[in-house]
Amino acid sequence: MAKKWGLRVRNWMAQKMDLPQDVMMDLPRITMIGQIHIYIENHRGLITFTDKELRLLLKQGQLQIRGKSFVIKTILPEEILLEGKIDQVLYINENPGGTK
Amino acid sequence: MKNQWIEFISGKVTVKVSGRGIERFINVLIRNGLIVWNVKRHGTETITFTMRLQDALKIRRYARERECSITFLKRAGMPFLFKRLLKNSGFVGGAILFLLLIMFLSNVIWGIEIKGAKPATEYQIRKELDKMGVKIGKVQFFVDNVEGIQRKLTNNVGNLTWVGVELKGTTYHLQVVEKKEPEKPEQLAPQNLVAKKKAVIDSMYVETGQKMVDIHDHVEAGQLLVSGIIGKEGQTQQVAAVGEVWGETWYKSHVELPLTTKFFVFNGQEKQKFSLILGKLEIPIWGFGKPEFKEFELDKNMKKIHFLKWELPISIGNETLRAREETIRTYTEKEAENNALELAKDKIKSGLDEEAIIKDQKILHKEFKNGKVILDIHFKIIENIAVGQPIPKETTE
Repeated sequence: MAKKWGLRVRNWMAQKMDLPQDVMMDLPRITMIGQIHIYIENHRGLITFTDKELRLLLKQGQLQIRGKSFVIKTILPEEILLEGKIDQVLYINENPGGTK
Repeated sequence: MKNQWIEFISGKVTVKVSGRGIERFINVLIRNGLIVWNVKRHGTETITFTMRLQDALKIRRYARERECSITFLKRAGMPFLFKRLLKNSGFVGGAILFLLLIMFLSNVIWGIEIKGAKPATEYQIRKELDKMGVKIGKVQFFVDNVEGIQRKLTNNVGNLTWVGVELKGTTYHLQVVEKKEPEKPEQLAPQNLVAKKKAVIDSMYVETGQKMVDIHDHVEAGQLLVSGIIGKEGQTQQVAAVGEVWGETWYKSHVELPLTTKFFVFNGQEKQKFSLILGKLEIPIWGFGKPEFKEFELDKNMKKIHFLKWELPISIGNETLRAREETIRTYTEKEAENNALELAKDKIKSGLDEEAIIKDQKILHKEFKNGKVILDIHFKIIENIAVGQPIPKETTE
């Protein structure tokens, strides 16, 4: 009961107070600095990592990043900082029904 | 990302992982709180990354569950530096030894310079310094401090008026002022000898001059004893009268001596304590614990440690605890009387010439009061009562 209450309050706050959606909806938050850095929060784990491709598991679907000479600068359970030359950032949805 | 330097201090390891399912392996690692960074792919089946040393110890456990093989490539950070330091401990030891050696040599006496002294005096001073242990090659800690050297030198070397001792680095500089004793005038000016005080002449020895009094004569202070004017009437000549006139003089002395006296004596037991003093902090290095004696006197000494020409803020402290005992001296009345008499004699003698003799003493009054013996003593003393007095010019013809 209390949990639901909290959720409702948070939702209301997100809407009324212009708070970012990723906090509320468990969506990945991606920050890119030019082509050289990409910072992804709220991922659910590594799937593939080579120097040309990085695949991350998200809550819904996957995120594919392609480029050249990739190095994972930092990796934490929910965050990852990737360095290299980034060409593409791609969302892969295996079941399109799950996304908004 | 974490602070690089913290990782450096705790140590970091570069790990090479090869096998299949490396991505999953990394997922497992990070979910278990093992921090991983700088992940790089080398070929299809190999990945390298860096991790903390403390995490690297746990990694085997996770690797065993998977089909990955782990190799440690590079070790960096303080723990490894330290390990290497231990391996090359010879160098470290050498460096420390070198510093210690310099420190030791900075505290050794390397020179003694004496200025302002005649060769003879200088030789005497050097001999005296040798006796004190102030020698080239000695460690300064075991030598008296500058004030002590100064005091001892002035006391022990006779013809020194003043000596300034200064310690500049490792050299003692001694500035010497010698006593200039006035040379005795060869030719005395014409003088008479007169009596210093009231006396009865006991004996006379006249070198030059005309005797004016005789043995057993009673003379008053200032009375002419030996005249410097000699020769017949009309052909007088002025000379310096020289001679000794021994007269019996009288002194009265009053002494009081308590029958019981309380005083402290050292019984010879002592305890040495050494400590390292850093500012206000004192670290004992030798001589721990309380002394086994209760009553003691403390003697504290501090020596600064030098490094080359600088004084370090470290000094070596030396404490000497000397055991003392309270002693009560009790005299019987007879002993007290004798001692009081001796005391009186000493007191009288200190005011007289060295040649003076105590001929006789008589106790005029004796009293025991308030635990004290009170004596009034009359002394008969034979001393030289002659003193020179220049003959005034006007009296000459």
